[in-house]
Amino acid sequence: MTNESRIRPPQVASWLVSLFASAKDETLQGDLLEEFSLLASNSGASVAQRWYWRQTLRSIVHLFVSEFRAAPWSTAAIVVAGFFLTKILFPLPEKAIFAVIEKYRIFDSHFDLYVFFAGDGIALSHVITSMLVGCSVALAARRKEMIATGALALMFCGMTALASLVWIARGNTSMLWSTLPWNFADWIAMLSAAAVIRTLRSPETHLASSA
Amino acid sequence: MSSRDYLGEFEHLIVLAVLRLADEAYGVTVRQEIESRTKREVSIGAVYATLDRLEDKGYVKSHLSDPTPERGGRSKRYFEVTAKGIRAVNRMRHALQNMAEGLELIRSYP
Repeated sequence: MTNESRIRPPQVASWLVSLFASAKDETLQGDLLEEFSLLASNSGASVAQRWYWRQTLRSIVHLFVSEFRAAPWSTAAIVVAGFFLTKILFPLPEKAIFAVIEKYRIFDSHFDLYVFFAGDGIALSHVITSMLVGCSVALAARRKEMIATGALALMFCGMTALASLVWIARGNTSMLWSTLPWNFADWIAMLSAAAVIRTLRSPETHLASSA
Repeated sequence: MSSRDYLGEFEHLIVLAVLRLADEAYGVTVRQEIESRTKREVSIGAVYATLDRLEDKGYVKSHLSDPTPERGGRSKRYFEVTAKGIRAVNRMRHALQNMAEGLELIRSYP
């Protein structure tokens, strides 16, 4: 066996493709591997790996759009359900945190703890809630876990962009910079949960390349 | 004839590539054929998304080969253009010829 034939494509890139590709797209992964091996033996491992990453990132966009277009109404219904689930679930931890704060009068005895719970504590609870929403949407969207969850995350991303524009127009940029990282964390949590569900569901989806 | 009977630009390129490759038309060769002839980088995801759409429209059909070890135990998906696909390509060619007819003077523009 030559060195070239042992070169494997980037594992994370392979995993990303398998997250977005449908079952029938296993041929797509085979094509990527075939071209990668050829390129690695002709031009070297680093050129082949850069090519693989470029192909992966560009292919994911096309797979996302084509998978959504393949079943637009059912996917959209799951996305809308996920949106309302988020709207229902998001205020609950906040209410619970303030109920605890009120009951034990934390702001009197441990003011620093109160500041943490009322600020980062609520934001952290939103990240956890986003993970739950991501899991629920992924479970409902069988074989389209990443498509439905990705569409939901994009919807929230768009809403945040609009809110950011309003804040900028009002000159309230401090609010923007304190909120944006947590919003970003919410979307990542949502997508991560969907990726876990997808990985658990699909025996073909794994970090180790089967090359 | 509805507007859906017309091929989009990339769909047109894909069908032509499949026709050129004949029995050897699968993801890798279709992607490379378009890339080498149009000199633009094409992603394998775009090729498959378009081929799936063309198959849904009935312009191409596909079949799987046996899995091979060099592809990680995965099959190749071979494509061929259907009679409906060939009619669509011919329609496109006639439409483009009709649109281009009499426009030789355009060459004199910079």
